[in-house]
This record gives sequence, C-alpha cells and structure tokens, in this order.
Amino acid sequence: MEPSDEALCERVARRDEAAFDLLVSRYQERAYRLAWSMLRNSEDARDVSQEAFIRLFEAAGSFGGRSKFSTWFYRILVNLCLDHKRKNRWWKLWARDDGDERGEPLLERQPAPVTDPVEKLNAERTMKDLGVAVDRLAPRQRAAVLLRVQEDMATYDIARVLKCSEATVRVHLHRALATLKKTMEKR
Amino acid sequence: MAKHPDTDLVPYLRGELPPAERERVERHLAECPDCRQDTELLRELLEQVARSIGPPPDVNWARYRAELREKLEARRARRAWWWRPVPMALSASVAGVLLLVAVWTGYQMTGGEPITPDQASLGSELGLLQEYRVVEQLDLLEDLDVIGNLDGLDAGRPS
Repeated sequence: MEPSDEALCERVARRDEAAFDLLVSRYQERAYRLAWSMLRNSEDARDVSQEAFIRLFEAAGSFGGRSKFSTWFYRILVNLCLDHKRKNRWWKLWARDDGDERGEPLLERQPAPVTDPVEKLNAERTMKDLGVAVDRLAPRQRAAVLLRVQEDMATYDIARVLKCSEATVRVHLHRALATLKKTMEKR
Repeated sequence: MAKHPDTDLVPYLRGELPPAERERVERHLAECPDCRQDTELLRELLEQVARSIGPPPDVNWARYRAELREKLEARRARRAWWWRPVPMALSASVAGVLLLVAVWTGYQMTGGEPITPDQASLGSELGLLQEYRVVEQLDLLEDLDVIGNLDGLDAGRPS
C-alpha cells in the first residue's frame, strides 16, 4: 500500500530523502500549476514552487498532523506566492508589457471546439477578459478563487490555507465572483 | 423573505454545506427567483473561470527535480558554512558589537543608567503589571518569588 502524504512527511522530518522525493513527485504538478496560476510566469512559478518544497523539507518537523498534509503544504506555497507578488508588485508594474504568459493559444483552453470563426473569436475574448479579471483580483481573493476552482478545495480547507475563518473565505469568494460577474456583464 | 444567502452560494454549489444550512438555502432559492438566477450564473462563472486559467506551460519534470535538489544542497551548504568556527566567531563578534551599541544607546536614552541584565530579566517578567495596583503597594520589586505568587498574596490582602 502507498504511504500516505502525512506518513511521508513524518519520514521527511527524520530526513528521509526517499520520502521527500516521493512527496515532490506527488505534488510537483499541483504546486507548479497553482503557483503559475497565481504568478502567471513560468520561471517564477518554478522558483516559488521549488522553494515551497525546500521549506517543506526544512519544516517537516513542525507538521503536527493536525491538518491534512496538502492543506499544510498549500499554506506554505500560497504564502510564498503572496509574498512574491507583494515584493515584485512595483517592479512588475513598471516592467510588464502584457503582464503574463498567456501567449499559448487561447482556443486550447476551450473544452469543446467551436466552428464558427466569429464565435471562436468571441469565446477567445471572453476567456482572455476573464483571465485578466482573475489576475486583477485582490491577492487573497484570487488565491481563494484558484484554490476553489482549480484545486476543488472546500471552504474549510481554503480557510486553513489562508489562515482565516470560513466566513472570511465565503466573503472573499462572493466578492471575487461578484467582481468577475460585473466584468463579464460590462463586455 | 429571509436575507439573501449570497455568501453561502459557492459552498452550496460545491455541496459542502451542513444539512441545516443547505435546507435553509434551498428554501430560499425556492422562493427567490433572483437568487435562483444568481446561482445558475455563479455555476457557469465558476466553470468559465476554471477554463480561463488554462494549463501552465509544459515543464521538464526531471530537470525540475534536479534543480530542486541543487537548490536544496546549496541551502544546506550555506547553513553548514554558518556553523563553521570562523563564521560563528564572526557572527558572535557582530552580535557582541550590536549588543554594546544597543546598551550604549539605552544608556544615552535613559539619561545615564544602562539597563542591567537583572532589570532586563525583571522586565521580561513584567506581564504581572496587569496587577500593577497591587505591585505598586508592595515595594518588593526585587523579589520575583513574591511577585510570581501575587495570586496567593491577593487572598491575604485586607478587604
């Protein structure tokens, strides 16, 4: 039977390198994807997600098992992303041309192929506008939305990741989605 | 009609509300066409948001792990360097100089009397100043045992 994440983390606390490698393999894609969604830059996402694993290695002893390992690890990761955004805010504002790496074909994000070229264009614009609107949300609101839609996390777990109450998460989500709805209505 | 359950709609859609809350939201939705419409829009919006984020650029995971391993080793090496005798002595000296500067600054700011280690230790115990009204009448500030047992003294205090 595969060892649980929590059991692996306990072994990492005892400096078991194999357990660490296994945890990295299990979480690397999720960590990178979430970091990329928050930072919108592949290099930053790689650096920050790797830093989260280093912190995991260093702090594994402080994982008390009171929460799920994933929640504890996401907390490390999300805090690093929020810190990174805070530190780079002014530099990015000054240096950005378009601000992210949305260069990949937007149509690839569509679940179903759209044949009409006008519809295609509209769908592409909708996705782009929505993506930009998500990027412009307040950092904690964006984190809550991404954890909800991308990681399918429950409000309770998001609250533990963001270290706030469930009521606060509900308000974050409500406000964020109200903002996104308004953006879409304005189009 | 009850207050609109705006902030409950996302957890409701995910099916994570406890039964009582869920029933309350469902009762409201049955009566309130606006909230019903909002709920549908919200469901659609959540799906659109998920799609709008899209997948991240591809990563070579073997290289990713190799880089991570290098970074981890570099971090360990840096830590290990700090524990060598020379850096330790260097940082101890810097800490000593900083301490001297701090004491000297304290001396200047308090107009002469520097803070002694005993006073500093006493200061750290002074959470007890919540009991300041009792303490100020005791004139026993040097006797930490007495101060540490203020609750006991409280019982013997004349009413």
